[in-house]
Amino acid sequence: MTKRTKGDLVLDTAVYFFLILLGVIMLLPLINVLSKAVSAEWAITSGKVGILPVGFQLDTMKEVISSSTFIRAFGVSVGVTVVGTIISILMTALTAYPLSKRLPGIPFIMVLFIFTMLFSGGLIPNYLLMRQLHLINNLWVLILPGMISVFNLLVIKSYYESLPEALEESARIDGAKTYTILFRIILPLSMPVIATIALFYAVGFWNDYFGPMIYINDTALKTLQLYLQDVVMDASAANAVNKSVDDLMNMSPEGIRAATVVASTVPILFVYPFLQKYFIKGVLIGSVKG
Amino acid sequence: MKYKKGWSLLLCTGLLLAAAGCGSSGNNGNGNKEAAEATKAPASAAATTAPTEDTAKPELKSLNLWSKDDYNTYPLAKVIEEKTGYKVKYEMLPADKAMDKLNLLISSGEPYDVITISGEKAVYTDYAKMGALVDLTPLIEEYGPNIKASISEASFDAVKVDGKIFAIPNSSSQFAGADLMIRQDWLDKLGLKTPTTLDEFTEVLKAFKEKDPGGNGSSGAPMSIDGGLATTANITGAFGIGTSWNKLDGKLVPPPLHPGFKEYLTYMADLYKQGLLDKEFAVNKDATLKEKFTSGKIGVIQLPWYDIPSVADALNANFPDAKFVYLPALKGKDGQMGLGMSGGFDRLTFIPKSAKHPEDAIKWINAKLDKDTFKLIAIGEEGKHHTYKDGIYSPILPLFTDERGNASNYLTGIDEKLYPIYWQARVQKDARLFAGFSYLNNELPAEARIADPLALAPSLPEYSKNNASLNQMINDFAVKVIVGEESPDAVDAFAEKYKAAGGEASYKEVNDWYAASGK
Repeated sequence: MTKRTKGDLVLDTAVYFFLILLGVIMLLPLINVLSKAVSAEWAITSGKVGILPVGFQLDTMKEVISSSTFIRAFGVSVGVTVVGTIISILMTALTAYPLSKRLPGIPFIMVLFIFTMLFSGGLIPNYLLMRQLHLINNLWVLILPGMISVFNLLVIKSYYESLPEALEESARIDGAKTYTILFRIILPLSMPVIATIALFYAVGFWNDYFGPMIYINDTALKTLQLYLQDVVMDASAANAVNKSVDDLMNMSPEGIRAATVVASTVPILFVYPFLQKYFIKGVLIGSVKG
Repeated sequence: MKYKKGWSLLLCTGLLLAAAGCGSSGNNGNGNKEAAEATKAPASAAATTAPTEDTAKPELKSLNLWSKDDYNTYPLAKVIEEKTGYKVKYEMLPADKAMDKLNLLISSGEPYDVITISGEKAVYTDYAKMGALVDLTPLIEEYGPNIKASISEASFDAVKVDGKIFAIPNSSSQFAGADLMIRQDWLDKLGLKTPTTLDEFTEVLKAFKEKDPGGNGSSGAPMSIDGGLATTANITGAFGIGTSWNKLDGKLVPPPLHPGFKEYLTYMADLYKQGLLDKEFAVNKDATLKEKFTSGKIGVIQLPWYDIPSVADALNANFPDAKFVYLPALKGKDGQMGLGMSGGFDRLTFIPKSAKHPEDAIKWINAKLDKDTFKLIAIGEEGKHHTYKDGIYSPILPLFTDERGNASNYLTGIDEKLYPIYWQARVQKDARLFAGFSYLNNELPAEARIADPLALAPSLPEYSKNNASLNQMINDFAVKVIVGEESPDAVDAFAEKYKAAGGEASYKEVNDWYAASGK
């Protein structure tokens, strides 16, 4: 490393200062919500809660976490995320493999895949289709239709293509068949991209709000994001217009809403740091070599 | 897992078909199809061929508005099941964009037996006109003696579409909902009396500003309003425009066409100019408004009584000695006054064409309106959930809140005579809240409250179509005038714009009905 000049130092300081400032600006709303979640309700109503909690208490948090609806929604979300991610990553990795080969017909099949990126049937036809498949009110509807994301498929496919063909040839000479090659050689070599895409899928499944909103009517099958959206939006002015006075009396106070936001965001926050290293490395490698 | 589910579906159908006694010789594909149908309404096959009613009440599917408690596990669900004999599976709409989701469910023909939505008639009327709903008139005639006894002809008339009843209405209890709150301790400190006329009110505001009883520094305005509610309760009443449509010379007139509107705006603009009204009111949201009041920055706020407990908690945490009271209805220059009342319907319950058991749905609704059952649903058991003394039902806390707090969500039609009395138990959950409610609705003389003349109006398509956007127009214009961006004289030009934007058609429609109703 060369010696840094004074100019470099000034520039670095400025850049760091700017980035830290940007980071703080982005963090502030989150901290505010966190503070509200553990503040006394009176302090929130009178606008006293800024960065630090006022009238610290954990009862609201406890109330939210111990609510049976919350626990059930949490379980559903974890289940869909785990099962969905495993299935999706497996199917995407398997589909990408043949598509990465130069075989007759592959370009045509690729066109079919890419077509689905650009065009879709629209909401009502999709809903009717799911109904005919008896997937309404069935958690599989959150996993099966979006099982393979074409974008993720392309990322994995280009990663496969970047692997030297000589590896496969040598394996074949040693007597390995296609599946052995895929599972023993290709996939282990592709771990960075697989981990990245797995994270994409996991975050996607966890945050999926639209799918459950449209396809899930059964209260017992509602996901956490749906529950969160309901709790938060229930109090919005637009939705208060048509409320009867009983509904208004039963409305959740701000503190409960903040606590629900915290309780449903924190779990996925804990996942991020553990996967972060793959996340960055994977995307980088995939894109540079692909 | 997938396969297992498929098998259990098949198994289920098999059992059901066997129970119903009708053999199916369908091939595999057929069986699958029926399996799915059967899971949607598990007992449908059994219902049609069953010998006695008792053993064969089908499971009903009910779609309701969002609630933070799960309808299926809330204690009341069990009570209703025991009393009516119907097992009901409840589902709920999302809190946000509920009507979009409902449109999707209705247009795809989901087999709900009962759907209950908010009392806004526009959506319901659309469905009825499209032919998506079951005509309840004959069903009520045949299976609904309790329904007929509980709900008045007037309420049914209000939900009729083309002369047919498509919904069971829950009429709202009529009450004044909001009024201006004033800091009593500020009045006491300055030795002022509670104002009773608009002029006295203005004087109080001036005194609050000059003598600053809250100790905020002289710059603060003593009163603020919500930027989305620029037509302030109580003050509008002093100008004769206490509700959204007001009687004037035998006609119902919306604010822009009412002479009181201009006077009201002139008055408010004047308050603003004198610094008696918060300079930033236009961007106030409900939460900011409460923030300003509970942190002692302002001394007058428009507050609905159901918000009293949270505001009182916050205010008293900051100022232990603070007291606040509702103002009486302020008298304008001709002695006009009044607080607008709410009315209309809390909920509408209807049966879509896609329902599997419309008759059972009506029987279920009818059973819930049985006198004892209805009381049990609404306020629970005496001595356990409520006490009864001198004609007043009072809740026993916390059990009342835990097991009946959510009761209004389960009501499909109400006993219109008794429910308003039962309902007051709900208001007594908090003494401060009840005091506020009681002041506005029991202590103030009757002429201080103005009933909403459109409360029992039938569905008025032009009015429903434009109401929201017209109200928005009125509010936007009112804000502009109050902050001085437009002069109050612009009302005439605005009235023309209002008419062109659909106000004219609404006016005609509302008054045609009003003339015909002969009130």
